[in-house]
Amino acid sequence: MTDDHRRCDDVFAEVEQAVAKGDWVGASECFGHFSSGVLQHFATEESLLFPAFEQKTGMFMGPTQVMRGEHVQMRELISAAAEGLANKDADAYSGNAETLLIMMQQHNMKEENILYPMCDQHLAEDAEALLPQLQSELKAD
Amino acid sequence: MQAVLSFEQAPPIAAPFRFFLTAPVFTGLAGLLLMVDGPESLSSRWTGGALALTHLLAVGFVLQVMLGALVQILPVVAGANLKRPLLVASLVHTLFVLGALLLVAGFLDIFPFAFPLAMTLLGTAVGFFLLAGLLSLRGVPSTSASISGFKLALASLAIVLLLGLLLAGSMAGYWAVPMLLVTQLHVNWGFAAWGLGLLSAVAYVVVPMFQLTPGYPVWFSRYFGSVLTVLVLLTSLLLLWAEPEWVAVFQVVVIWLSAAFCCLTLWLQARSKRAIPDVTQRLWRLAMICGLLACSLWMLVHLVPSLDDWPAWPILFGVLVLVGGFMSVIVGMLYKIIPFLVWLHLQNRGRGKVIAPNMKAVLGETKMKRHLQAHLATCALLIAAVFWPEMLSRPAGLALLVASGLLLANLCSAIGVYRRHARLVDERLAILAEGVEA
Repeated sequence: MTDDHRRCDDVFAEVEQAVAKGDWVGASECFGHFSSGVLQHFATEESLLFPAFEQKTGMFMGPTQVMRGEHVQMRELISAAAEGLANKDADAYSGNAETLLIMMQQHNMKEENILYPMCDQHLAEDAEALLPQLQSELKAD
Repeated sequence: MQAVLSFEQAPPIAAPFRFFLTAPVFTGLAGLLLMVDGPESLSSRWTGGALALTHLLAVGFVLQVMLGALVQILPVVAGANLKRPLLVASLVHTLFVLGALLLVAGFLDIFPFAFPLAMTLLGTAVGFFLLAGLLSLRGVPSTSASISGFKLALASLAIVLLLGLLLAGSMAGYWAVPMLLVTQLHVNWGFAAWGLGLLSAVAYVVVPMFQLTPGYPVWFSRYFGSVLTVLVLLTSLLLLWAEPEWVAVFQVVVIWLSAAFCCLTLWLQARSKRAIPDVTQRLWRLAMICGLLACSLWMLVHLVPSLDDWPAWPILFGVLVLVGGFMSVIVGMLYKIIPFLVWLHLQNRGRGKVIAPNMKAVLGETKMKRHLQAHLATCALLIAAVFWPEMLSRPAGLALLVASGLLLANLCSAIGVYRRHARLVDERLAILAEGVEA
């Protein structure tokens, strides 16, 4: 899951390069890939990883709930940034993209430093069953 | 116990912001002091004016922002939640600001009880913060280089504080300590173990995050902070045992290590995937270049003994490290943290029903660039003023005052956006709630 976070950052940089060159079509296309990748990642966590964690620990309102709330905020930023690209409004795009970038990074940091280690710890026994499912979901896009 | 993530436990916006807002006032005071005192305060590091300037920058600005940022960043990076963050923050902040002003008054010999009062207030403020910080980190496993870096840096700050208290007490006449030796220890722990230690722990996270660079190599981030701290510790012990040859050897290693950090960061920045370097990235680059210059100056002075007699070299070193280095990095960080926090808190306040202004709408690039230019002019004038103090120390002071004013104005404008939008959010939510009831 951590590797998947890194991949998101790479695509994000490509979009920024395209916008700087004024290549709006390329930027929109690239952002489309980026957002579908991110949304797929969210969906995988929300449908597989979080429920497994909640079932195992009984913590339904804990960290996973916070992560879901942050996913909602990031979905909003993604659509605001996409709108900026569609309107060829560089300021609106870059402002929302910048905010999304930091939101995404601090969210990733919380997941990588806190949630994933908790998952590794609690879900170790279920890893054999859970891992192939996670991998196939992440590849689905 | 494993820390639990929660936005409810993330500190309210007022907790870190109070530190950020009063910090530029101290650099502004430093500018004023330089304008009033003129070349006198740049003639030797031991004048009251030079010591007051150093502490206005190092304590009033650098330490103050670092404390505010830690209030915010500990829960996010380490999951370490401070208990009652707003209470801790306002208590620490009030005592800190008064203590820092009194410390400066002590150096300038403005009134007789300044040192003992400063010792009490600053000692309580920083001591209390350290206690709260270390308690919140207790039991948080060091799962990343940053977390262990924070722990080491906070422990080093405790040592800086104790050494500072020893020095201030000695200046107030309560006890006598060998001033030169203890000052050297205080500077080593302050600049290297605490300052660079904390900066590197933060850099592992924010350089890749803000500037889209590759990450620091794992072997580097894993060992840099602890090797640095151990070296500073060894240097201190050797200083106490009066082994000058060995002290020199270890100090050279500390300087090389610091230079390696600057080089590595510049190398990573050169590989940034960002299309156009933003203000933060330029400020970090400036800081790393100044850091390298400071390290080169130190090496040069120790290679060419005749340079050691030049009384102004420690002032030049201080300007490069404090203004060019730490201040630049910190301003760069503020320009990311503040707009992001304003957005985050407004977004949470709007509960998804009222959209928050994005970071660039909170603080525009043009305003930041204007301040960047003033900051660059300040750095250049201060460096030149070390060589031509008669002619340039007052203009350098004026530049610092103007740059501090621009920084303060930028921070206030971001807070203005927060206040206005928060009111708007409350009004809209009230209207929506009425609509539901009706």
